[in-house]
Amino acid sequence: MMILITGGSKCGKSGFAESLLQAHTGPKIYLATMQPYGAEADIAISRHRKQREGKGFQTLEQYTDLHTIELPAHSAVLLECIGNLTANELFREKPADDCVSHIIRGLRHLHDTSDLFVAVTNQVGSDGIAYATGTALYIAAIGAVNQSAARLADQVYECVYGIPVLCKGGKPC
Amino acid sequence: MILITGGAYQGKTEYVRRQFPDIPITDGAACLFDEAATAKCINQYHVLIQRLHAAGSDPVAWTEQLCAENPECIILLDEIGCGIIPLERDERIRRELTGICGCIIAKHSDAVIRLVCGVPNAIKGDLL
Repeated sequence: MMILITGGSKCGKSGFAESLLQAHTGPKIYLATMQPYGAEADIAISRHRKQREGKGFQTLEQYTDLHTIELPAHSAVLLECIGNLTANELFREKPADDCVSHIIRGLRHLHDTSDLFVAVTNQVGSDGIAYATGTALYIAAIGAVNQSAARLADQVYECVYGIPVLCKGGKPC
Repeated sequence: MILITGGAYQGKTEYVRRQFPDIPITDGAACLFDEAATAKCINQYHVLIQRLHAAGSDPVAWTEQLCAENPECIILLDEIGCGIIPLERDERIRRELTGICGCIIAKHSDAVIRLVCGVPNAIKGDLL
């Protein structure tokens, strides 16, 4: 079972994603892809840590190559987030020839080896601004990854100011 | 409380005028802060957030107080978070504050209506 959650900045994606794993009785893995660079990243990371405190998550930090992760049996995984992951893969020292396929391979691996896979991503293509090459490549890459992830997912939600709007699949049990 | 959201120019104000022809609309982009605190309906709430922040007030605390003290208010708030993280620090903060305030208002709202191309959709509660 895979659920993809998208939405804009500070729209309540993480809180909603965490709630989807609440009932899971097996291991709960929080897969963090944000690299702790700079004061603002530190603030974001500690805010997220505080939010999931006491919810029974093991944190696993992995910034690239998600296909190499070995999950415990019957895990539920919360990946946070595809936006950071895409930037990490695209702008790493030696990026894969086809970054998008490389990322999808990792997502497919998590989908195949977990009981429940919840992936958080971002909507970044709606500000109507023409960006320079690097950023434009990033927007295109995350758009392609999101489309593939949504095809792979059983359910897709878009969060709007904290409200999950179902885009694909039935309501969760 | 009712939240009306959606991108810019999606027909939010028209929708409110149609549904509530007798309710005066206070312009969050220009009104006094005290005027907004007691308004029946606040337009451009994302600009009000920006103005509060620029004036040194905390928009999150201000929004929480509004929800507590003016719970019948109708709020029009643009969706602004679906882009690239802005380069300017102040813009980043403004964007995050807007998201946080929007979640607070949505939580307190009986109905959240999102407009796309003028078409209203109730994403919380029922259509008005």
